[in-house]
Amino acid sequence: MTLTLSEPLFNALLAVVKILFVWAMTLAALLPNLIWAERRVSGLIQDRPGPNRVGPLGLFQAVADVLKLMMKEDVVPLYVDKVLFTLAPLITLTPALVTFAVIPFGSSIPITWNGAVRDVPLVIADVNVGILYIFALTSLAVYGIVLAGWSSNDKYSLLGGVRASAQIISYELAMGFSAAGVFIAAGSLRLPAVVEWQHAHLWNVVPQFLGFVVFAVAIFAETNRIPFDLSEAEAELVAGYHTEYSSFRFAMFFMGEYANLIAASAVVTTLYFGGWSLPGVAFTGLWGGLASIAVFAVKTAAFIFLFLWVRWTLPRFRYDQLMELGWKVFLPLSFFHLIAVAAFVAASGR
Amino acid sequence: MSEGTPGTAALVPPPEEPTLLGLHEMELNFGPQHPATHGVLRVVLKVDGERIVSARPDVGYLHRGTEKLFETETYPMVIPHTDRMDYVAAATNNHAYCLAVEKILGVEVPKRAQYIRVLLDEMQRVSSHLLWLATAAIDLGAITPFFYTFREREVILDLFEEYCGARLTLNCMRIGGLPVDLTPGWVERTQAFFETLEAKIDEYEDLLTENRIWKERTVGIGVLAADRCVAWGVTGPVLRAAGVAWDVRRALPYECYPELEFDIPVGKNADTYDRYLVRVAELRQSRRIALQCCDWLAKNPEGEIRGKVPRVIKPAAGMAYASVEAPKGELGFFLVSSGANKPYRLHVRAPSFVNLQSLPEMIRGHLVSDLVAVIGTYDIVLGEVDR
Amino acid sequence: MSLLDRILLLDIFAGLGVTARHLARPADTVEYPEKAKEPSERFRGMFLLDEERCIKCTLCAIECPINIIYIDWHSEKNAEGKAEKKLDRFDLDMKRCMFCGLCEEACPTNPRSIWLATKTYELGTYERNESLYLDIRKLTQWDGNVKPFPTADPAKAPVNPAKEK
Repeated sequence: MTLTLSEPLFNALLAVVKILFVWAMTLAALLPNLIWAERRVSGLIQDRPGPNRVGPLGLFQAVADVLKLMMKEDVVPLYVDKVLFTLAPLITLTPALVTFAVIPFGSSIPITWNGAVRDVPLVIADVNVGILYIFALTSLAVYGIVLAGWSSNDKYSLLGGVRASAQIISYELAMGFSAAGVFIAAGSLRLPAVVEWQHAHLWNVVPQFLGFVVFAVAIFAETNRIPFDLSEAEAELVAGYHTEYSSFRFAMFFMGEYANLIAASAVVTTLYFGGWSLPGVAFTGLWGGLASIAVFAVKTAAFIFLFLWVRWTLPRFRYDQLMELGWKVFLPLSFFHLIAVAAFVAASGR
Repeated sequence: MSEGTPGTAALVPPPEEPTLLGLHEMELNFGPQHPATHGVLRVVLKVDGERIVSARPDVGYLHRGTEKLFETETYPMVIPHTDRMDYVAAATNNHAYCLAVEKILGVEVPKRAQYIRVLLDEMQRVSSHLLWLATAAIDLGAITPFFYTFREREVILDLFEEYCGARLTLNCMRIGGLPVDLTPGWVERTQAFFETLEAKIDEYEDLLTENRIWKERTVGIGVLAADRCVAWGVTGPVLRAAGVAWDVRRALPYECYPELEFDIPVGKNADTYDRYLVRVAELRQSRRIALQCCDWLAKNPEGEIRGKVPRVIKPAAGMAYASVEAPKGELGFFLVSSGANKPYRLHVRAPSFVNLQSLPEMIRGHLVSDLVAVIGTYDIVLGEVDR
Repeated sequence: MSLLDRILLLDIFAGLGVTARHLARPADTVEYPEKAKEPSERFRGMFLLDEERCIKCTLCAIECPINIIYIDWHSEKNAEGKAEKKLDRFDLDMKRCMFCGLCEEACPTNPRSIWLATKTYELGTYERNESLYLDIRKLTQWDGNVKPFPTADPAKAPVNPAKEK
């Protein structure tokens, strides 16, 4: 190859390739299929076929939905705050897509460059404060909801926005505490290190089951889905924060919800289910790397299915009940769990 | 404001006082276009945050002047109009009206017709309660029970269709009896359906009864104690959940109910959860009654289905009131006859309308989310509220 | 609820179990335009009139609770010199019909000249007035255009759980 690249340029190129890969996976492959899967799963649970008209098995339903939404009239109500109204869907969608940057989606792939073989880790950015980055971003997503609720100048939207801002504090604390247990055990805030620790020892879900339960429930609240879709609460607040949205602005909220769902499933997989690893299997070489991506995808998909399954089974909480749950149940539980993990780690002398 | 006089106390909005920070309560217009008001009910709320300070139900968006319309129709022509009041329980509407006219005429309904009427009533009660369960669950976010209950309801509607030719607006009773006899095999199919219903009810209970979220959303919500229920004139499952075993089928027996065995389920906490339990128990009791009717009809496959009614119905001048236990409560028809072939006045005591009056009292101090649960717990049908 | 119950979410799993069982069940619904449930024999659907049998007594128009039937007739001497009623108009406002079937019950001829048990319920149209305001011509001809039921073959008919037994 005559093309020579300097080391930084090559790394940048690699990062771009990885970003494109991850976004292609989530936006082009997972997201439309997830929208389809949600409706098919709900159909199966409810003894009906679900969408089956557009394309084979109705697979192109999501495409049809998005096309329909794009062609609809973009209604901006008269007294909305136009800047925030436009910004809010973007704020919801973006953090979900950026979260994937720190999630290791596979082990590593060997690439020969300048005559030397180097293992390229399959993570876009190996940030040494990976989990803080995730918490920071997922907390941002609530601003989209609050701003949408405020800027719509609609009482129902306002209630939705207020609910979102009130509930986020109540579960994020417990979520942080329970996740801290994982990092105490792994001894690092880097997500690849967490995965490697689980690969070497065992999946966190076994020793830290309590933390997992708290984290999983919190992540349900984080993604704004039943039983915690209080800011949307179709039966109470009409459509909550996105009552006034239509056309593509609504489509962005819609996609944001599913992107969040994928991101949340990926985070749970990484923290508690060993990420790309399988116990006793070493993923080396090109095929090993690709296989690890597949393992990660399957685990994430399984968790996504759990999300869908729960949504179509359970009723919805009231927002004060969610706050009570967060402060009175999950916070003490996660605190207890954190102390227990810390004590165990200290006692085992690592 | 005195709590003693129902009717006016709750309707007068409290004087507007600024709160500590100088803020005012927000007025929230709940309906008439709203996913959870079961039609076109409008509730004007004053909310402090999400807490409801006062609620004022505003009815009449579906008013069709049915009672006035009754006065222009001959007696048999009224029946199809009664279908359209509580349009998810047409059989009980037909039944109550026919009872009122039969009372003023002094007509005896043949035994076989009585059993078929009671069977239709109980099927209608099951179908109405299934619909209630579906919508009450969907109001609280559980979407899937809707599809399960509708599957069973569909079977009942098919049976109705087979018997009288319609699924919702049945028009399935006539003054003095029934329009047609049963089709062959109908009783067996009905029996087979009610045999399988028990397992289906267990399934709904698995989904909801012990579910902690369902309990959190319903236990202690919308409490209306027995004395308040009586003061407001509330009837039906809402009253029975408060512990008052008032059931028209027992209290003012009509048709062949005295010959049938059934219990009246009562609750004790008078909250939304107890009303749910009472309605689920009523599903089981209705099943019990329906099976007894099926047995009787299987043993007596022949018989008159229509009493001796003159071709032109012209009752003597007078008044009559007859009521049945409709799925929503006591449904009564008050008939004034002037001796003509049309009712002089026909007033309907619609349980949904009477029950709904107590909404302001039931909801005060609860959250906006609870309003949805409370409206759901009444099992109102706006066609009956507004008529 | 004990602490263990709270953590193990047993009540939640009971509900999830129900939905999981249904996940594997086949669909109960019918793919409508391709298949359709055939209405029962007594199903009250589209109105059909037999002009030959009709004796122009107008009882159906009198009995109709919403007065949607309008009948006009005149007397004519037939070939044998007897007076015979001839139908001029028989109009029916199908948009308002509520399918109560009282007209059918009122009809004095035997067999009846009006019947609703035509098993036809697909009454949606694009032209409001053209198709649903029916005069005598349309009333006697419309059933020639009705397609037979897609599930005319009883072996392929959708299974009704009530009829299975």
